Amino acid sequence: MSDEVGVELRAVRKTYGDTVALQSLDITARAGEITGIAGPNGAGKSTMIKLLAGEERADGGEILVGGEPWSPLIGARGVAVVHQEPELFPNLTVAENLAIGRERSRWLRRGMSEQDRRLLDDLAILPLADRQLGGLPLAVQQRTEIARALAQDARVFLFDEPNSALTEEESDDLFRRMHELADAGRTVLLVSHRLTELCEHTDRVSVLLDGRCSGTVSGADLVPETIARMLVAGFLESDRAVRSPVSGEEPTVLRLEGLGDGAGAFAGVDLEVRAGAIVAFAGVEGSGARELVRAIAGFGRTSGSLEVHRSGDARRDQAFVPASRADSLFTNMSVGQNSVIRLDREITGPGLALRRRRSREIARSLSKRFMVKAESIDAPIRSLSGGNQQKVAIAAAIAAQPAVLVLEEPTRGVDIGAKREIYELLRDYAGEGHAVVLYSTEIPEVFEAAHALHVVGGGRMAPPLLVADYPDVESLAAAATELERYAASPA
Amino acid sequence: MTQTADTNVVAGGPVDPLPPTAAALRRLRMAGTTFLRVGGLALAVVIIAGVFSIHTDGQMLASDNLLGIARSVSTIAILSFGLLFVIVAGEIDLSFANLYGLCTNVIAVLWLLHGVPVYVAILAAFAVATVVGSFNAFFTAVVGVPSFIATLGSSTLIFGFTLLIGDTQTFSAQFPPAGHAVSTSQLEVFTNLSRFNLPFDFPMQGLWTIVLLIGFGFLLGRSLFGFRLKAIGGNREAARLARLPVRRYVFVAFIISAWMACLAGLLDFAYVGSASPNDGQTYLFPVFAAVIIGGASLSGGRGTVIGTFTGALLLAVLNNGFALEAAGPFAQQMLLGVVTIAAVVLDRFTNREGARR
Repeated sequence: MSDEVGVELRAVRKTYGDTVALQSLDITARAGEITGIAGPNGAGKSTMIKLLAGEERADGGEILVGGEPWSPLIGARGVAVVHQEPELFPNLTVAENLAIGRERSRWLRRGMSEQDRRLLDDLAILPLADRQLGGLPLAVQQRTEIARALAQDARVFLFDEPNSALTEEESDDLFRRMHELADAGRTVLLVSHRLTELCEHTDRVSVLLDGRCSGTVSGADLVPETIARMLVAGFLESDRAVRSPVSGEEPTVLRLEGLGDGAGAFAGVDLEVRAGAIVAFAGVEGSGARELVRAIAGFGRTSGSLEVHRSGDARRDQAFVPASRADSLFTNMSVGQNSVIRLDREITGPGLALRRRRSREIARSLSKRFMVKAESIDAPIRSLSGGNQQKVAIAAAIAAQPAVLVLEEPTRGVDIGAKREIYELLRDYAGEGHAVVLYSTEIPEVFEAAHALHVVGGGRMAPPLLVADYPDVESLAAAATELERYAASPA
Repeated sequence: MTQTADTNVVAGGPVDPLPPTAAALRRLRMAGTTFLRVGGLALAVVIIAGVFSIHTDGQMLASDNLLGIARSVSTIAILSFGLLFVIVAGEIDLSFANLYGLCTNVIAVLWLLHGVPVYVAILAAFAVATVVGSFNAFFTAVVGVPSFIATLGSSTLIFGFTLLIGDTQTFSAQFPPAGHAVSTSQLEVFTNLSRFNLPFDFPMQGLWTIVLLIGFGFLLGRSLFGFRLKAIGGNREAARLARLPVRRYVFVAFIISAWMACLAGLLDFAYVGSASPNDGQTYLFPVFAAVIIGGASLSGGRGTVIGTFTGALLLAVLNNGFALEAAGPFAQQMLLGVVTIAAVVLDRFTNREGARR
């Protein structure tokens, strides 16, 4: 191992409008090593990657690559980002993908240069050189991306959640490539949610929290439980809301029996959720947790049975709020229109005529109840901040009065204050005799909002962790990580 | 946008912290986008009419001519109402022009050639339109073919059918093909669809247009259907995840478009008295132009019936003026292109803040 510094970020700042993505980020990655980066959603990981790759410019601080200050040329040539979904040309062949942008002549040449041939051979994809990239497996596409980076002599390789869609064998191979790159003296950064992998394959792991590096672990400390604890640090015990436990006498609202997914993302899920309960599902991308929650929301083809019993004042079975606001809001509509779009009989009179005054009243009372900060309900939805947009998306789903409210990462990209308010609204809604189901990637969220946590790994759901049994968020995080590791290992 | 929203908000306060007058002003401004557009277009119509009438020594404003405009606007208006629903749903329909021709020929062949009562022939034409609309919607919403391709294909398919059933002839209602007779009572009922004597010689087709304008104006602007259709056109995936009946609405939109094509064909056939295979084809572009000039967004989710009507009116006045000036068909064609592009450019400027992000 050399002591040579590959990448160094010093007090790097980046803001988007009012949102601070990076406060003051200091991270060092050495050449010849694999440096891991961990952090919850919104901690600034993707911003960091964008800055290094040159997709965005920092507002302050310094970025050094191989000792030199970052410049667009270094960003383009020296830093290679390998994405989960390679950003290449699917309509070209592997060889053409490798050559494009580096053509020496204006005329297309047949065949590859000797250098390119050797590169592809090293990465074991030479036999596929003339195949169209789009039809090849992801793993091959990623290797093509690596080859492309090597061809332009990149010194820094950033892997952004590279193996979430790969099979075990493919991801083992990918890690082997990463080690090869590091052994050749290059700087490798691995961004991942999978703590076990980070500990196994990296030399050190830096944890990002709220736009800064909250610590780096290496050596004997490099175990998943330590990182899990660091990820939830800063979460104050007093933040934990008082939550009345769900009694066994409440009616069952949701019952799953042997629920399985047509595509095999999960199988054999049995579950009973009673009125008043908030149940969270956690699992990394590809674990089946996201698919399971979507199936509970009534989307996708499933086997087994899923029953919803409307309790209390429920008027609909399920309502679903997807993680991305691009999929939950209608940008051509106002705040008020967005919040009543799921309603029908509530806002219509005879002959399907809209009762405009009534729908405005509903929208206004929803805005008030959800504390939406908007100029008025007629303001365009895009004029709101991210947190308020999210509140409108959730308000619209709650307005439909579903027996089961299903949410995917309900507070992604939302500031702390709005998070609190959202959790409270979810608790209120459950308290009115409904069931709430969450897909979450963040343990503090589960700790604060949910009664029970089901860890999903390899398409199987683990028995629930009752949040009330854990005195602090660190212990819940450690328990969840342990279950995840257990679930991920082949039975 | 964001700045204004933030500065006006009382910290932590609930919605509507503005004094009532400011809130009302704001609402006026929001409603104003449609209002401005329609008002602006209406103003443009008046100015253009004024310029032409000065230029033609008042010919334009002669009552005969105005009634002529009222008739000529109606075909484009009716077709564009139908197209508007498809465009608001975020799709495209290129088949309505040839469907217009298919429907006139279905009526002509059944009625004039096979002696089927005209009422039945008309019902059959609407049934054909329903099938075509469902066909377009099926390939778009169920199979997932882009509607541009699906309706381009169905348009050609339809034209083929038209040639097949009519054997490329032109039919006349007054002078049916040799050896065929037409009942005079049916002919009268049929002709009255477009030539019924209204007070002040107001054209019957104009009345049809006004009725549709009001009906569709309600449907798109004031009904649950219109509200949801705009949501579906604005964000198809969000609509699906919110469990809005996306497919059903896309079917209804395409069927409305097909029915309007059929109705426009029927009314023109009744007025002109003849049907030929090429009927309707020249309407394809002007109808798109009317919808776009009228403020509908080709990406879906935005559009009004009154705006579309004003767009059609603008085209009718321009066409009429050029006809009075005897500028010739080439100038009219070029003008149509210029006006359409100008409308879209203007739209991009006025909606700039909405288009960002």
